[in-house]
Amino acid sequence: VPAIEPVTVAGEGKIWSYTVQRFAPKSPPYEAPAGGFQPFVVVYVETGDGIRIEGIVDGADPDQVRIGQVVRLTSAADVPRYRIADVSTGGAS
Amino acid sequence: MTDVSIVGVGVSRFGRQPALTGRQLAVQAVLTALADAGIGWPDVQAAYGGSDASGLADTLVSDLGLTGIPFTNVKNGCATGGSALIAGYHAIRSGAADVVLVVGFDKHPRGAFDLMPADWGLPDGVGSAGLMVTTQFFATKIRRYMHDHGITPGTLALVAEKAYHNGSINPNAWRRQALTAAEVLASGMVNDPLTRFMFCSPGEGGAAVVLAPSDQAGRFASRPVGIRGAVSRTRPFGSFEVFSPWLPPGELSSVSALAARGAFEMAGIGPEEVDVAQLQDTDSGAEIMHLSECGFCADGEQEKWLRERATHIDGQLPVNTDGGCIANGEPIGASGLRQIHEVVTQLRGRAGARQVPGGPKVGFTHVYGAPGVSACTVLAV
Repeated sequence: VPAIEPVTVAGEGKIWSYTVQRFAPKSPPYEAPAGGFQPFVVVYVETGDGIRIEGIVDGADPDQVRIGQVVRLTSAADVPRYRIADVSTGGAS
Repeated sequence: MTDVSIVGVGVSRFGRQPALTGRQLAVQAVLTALADAGIGWPDVQAAYGGSDASGLADTLVSDLGLTGIPFTNVKNGCATGGSALIAGYHAIRSGAADVVLVVGFDKHPRGAFDLMPADWGLPDGVGSAGLMVTTQFFATKIRRYMHDHGITPGTLALVAEKAYHNGSINPNAWRRQALTAAEVLASGMVNDPLTRFMFCSPGEGGAAVVLAPSDQAGRFASRPVGIRGAVSRTRPFGSFEVFSPWLPPGELSSVSALAARGAFEMAGIGPEEVDVAQLQDTDSGAEIMHLSECGFCADGEQEKWLRERATHIDGQLPVNTDGGCIANGEPIGASGLRQIHEVVTQLRGRAGARQVPGGPKVGFTHVYGAPGVSACTVLAV
C-alpha cells in the first residue's frame, strides 16, 4: 500500500490532457470573474517526474490548446494556474 | 451458500415528470416489480434501496405498507442501485431472507450537478475557480484516451447515434428522437471534445428488482434470471476519477476494471461469453473507455467496433440496448437497476422492437460514479 506524503512538484510541465469549460459552472460554488464568465481551459499538467496536476490555463485561446504544450505555473492561490510557456510547442507530445 | 435469482423487475417512466416526486416514481417501480414476480408487498422480507437526491428509501413503507421488515438505505453515488442489489444478494445468500426487494430512484433539477468542494474533501478554491464540474472529468479522460489510442470524434458521435436510435424504439426512454452522428457532432461543445448530445442529462426515474433463492424461483410468476456474479469496488491507487486534483506517475488503474474482473471471476464466465451488456454511458467517451476497462476489447479497438456497428442491437456485443443513460437520463439512484431491468428483459426475450436476436443467455451490467465507485453484475438464464 503506497504511503502518501507531501512532495514538491515542478511548476513547469506539459499539458497531459485538457478540456474547455464552455458553460458557466453553477454558483455556488463558482465565482465568476469581474467581467463575467468566459470559457476557460482545464488541464492536467504532467511534470518531469510524471505527476499530473489539475489546474487552469489562463490567457490561452481555447481553440489553440494542445496536448504536449509546455506550461508554467503562475499562481496556486485557489487552484494551480498556468500560462502557456511557448506557443511553438503546440501539437507536439 | 444459496444461489440467487432475479424473479421480478420494474421501472417507472424515465424523463421529466413534473407532477410526480422521486418517491412516487420509486413506488411505481416497486409495484411493477412485485406484479412481475406475482407477489404483494407483504411477501417481501427485507428491502434495500436509495436515491442520491430524492429522499430516503425506507420512507417508502408509508406508501407500500407498514409490514415491519428491515429496510436499509443505501447511498453510494452512481453505484447506489448496484450496491443495494449486492446487499440484497448477500441477504439471500446468507439465508437472512427469501424474498428481497431492491429499489433505486431519483429526480434531479435541470442542468449539471452542483456540488460543493467541502463535501468531497476539497479546498473551497476548487469550487470558486470552476472545477467542481463532473463533465470536465469525462472530457479530460476521453481526450487523453483518444490521444493514446487513436479514437476519433466521429466514433464518439457514433456511440450517441446508437443510444438515440435505441431510445427511439424503447417506449420507456426519455429521449425518443433518433439523431445522426452529424447532428451529434454539430450540437455544440459542452466540454471539448464532448458535445451536448454526447452527454446524458441528470433526469428522473425509479427501478426495482425482486430477489429470491434460485431453488425457489419457480414459484414466482415470471421467468427467473440468475445472478452469477455481483461485485462492487472503490477506487485503487492511481485511478483517474471525478475531482482528482492530481494523478500519480505511471499507468492509470481503474475501479471499473476491478469490479468487472471480480464479477466475471465470481461467475466463472468471461467477457467473450456475454451476449448483451449495459455500460455506464455518462457520455459517449465513457462507454468507449468502459468497453475496454470491463474487458470486452483492447484499448483502441473501439474505433473499428463502432465503425462496424458491433455494439448495435444486432451486432457482436449489443451495448446499452435501452438507450443507456444518454437516452434515459441519469437519475443517479435508479440507473444501476434500470440496467438490470433491461438485461433481464433481454434474457427473457421480451424486449420487443429492441430485442437482441438469437436468444441471449448471458448479460452484464456496469455502473461507475464519483469519486471512484463501480458495481458490476453477470446475469444468466
